[in-house]
Amino acid sequence: MTRPDRKSLTLFGLILFQAFCLAFFLFDVIEDFAGLYDASVPYGHFLPEAGATLGMAIGLAFETRYLIRLLRKQAHMERGLGVAAGELATLMEDYFRKWGLTAAEADVAAFTIKGYSITEIAGLRGSAEATVKTHLNAIYRKSGAQGRGQLVSVLIEDLMRAPLVSGEKPMGQGALAEGAGAKG
Amino acid sequence: MRKLYVWDPLVRAFHWALVAGLILNMFVTNPGKTAHRWLGYGVLTLIALRLVWGLIGPKFARFRSFPPDPAAALDHAREIVTGRVHPHEGHSPLGALMVYNLLASCLIIGLTGWMLTTLTWFGVEWVEDLHKAFVTWVQLCAVLHIAAVIFESRRLRVNLPKSMVTGYKTLP
Repeated sequence: MTRPDRKSLTLFGLILFQAFCLAFFLFDVIEDFAGLYDASVPYGHFLPEAGATLGMAIGLAFETRYLIRLLRKQAHMERGLGVAAGELATLMEDYFRKWGLTAAEADVAAFTIKGYSITEIAGLRGSAEATVKTHLNAIYRKSGAQGRGQLVSVLIEDLMRAPLVSGEKPMGQGALAEGAGAKG
Repeated sequence: MRKLYVWDPLVRAFHWALVAGLILNMFVTNPGKTAHRWLGYGVLTLIALRLVWGLIGPKFARFRSFPPDPAAALDHAREIVTGRVHPHEGHSPLGALMVYNLLASCLIIGLTGWMLTTLTWFGVEWVEDLHKAFVTWVQLCAVLHIAAVIFESRRLRVNLPKSMVTGYKTLP
């Protein structure tokens, strides 16, 4: 397993801390809610507090979603090194989302692209080979690729179009190509 | 399939006695009454015993076998979000964090509860608030703990609640 970087550790710590804070605010809001009936708590006190608590909950949800994405990306980059690894991982995640792969399918797809066999993937994921095959079928059906080779070439094609170290995401190939004046 | 003995009788007895003690003091006894107080002392004794057992007990009971490790917890989270399945023999890293959280929170509840029985702290508002706030926190965490145990049992196909009764984990 990869050692997580500072970023995900900090985020994890922040999420735990905010969950702790949220629990107390939530407790307070629920108590105040009861106080609305006998008018011991005015609405002017309750509504802003409830709003702030809601805002915190939403923030927490987004942070958790971001952490999940970060962890998935890290998991798929595990043995990748070098400049292209980060870019490739981002690209892979974008495609997996576009194809609507489940978390497990995305994991299998990442291993497949890196050249692991079905037996190896089953071992790495702690699942049966039949399960991996089911995932692979779903991956090929959803992506429209005929096999491992095509799956890889989709990514390579995109990587070749875009500069490796840039902030730009090489998704939406058409727009990128037109923008660069390559087509036309 | 392999059957592994992980939870010794003291760990199991501690777990269920703590559950019983918390439920009784949260929903049955009245704060300030003798029964509430003695149950509280009981829970504090249980935690003290568990802390000692964590140093001298068998392998899976020892704190050394489940240190609070954020990096390992993230590895565990990564397994969940990618659908990889590698069950842990003893406490899982995320489970371990919950263990320490609950131990510490129950300790705070017990200590603030005891403070409220003394002349110095009786009726002091912040002590009362702290006591109540941590009770709410433990209730939330208990719900999360049960949800996580059900979720992990299904994900890993290991009956975790059963292992806390029989002491054996059946790992694939």
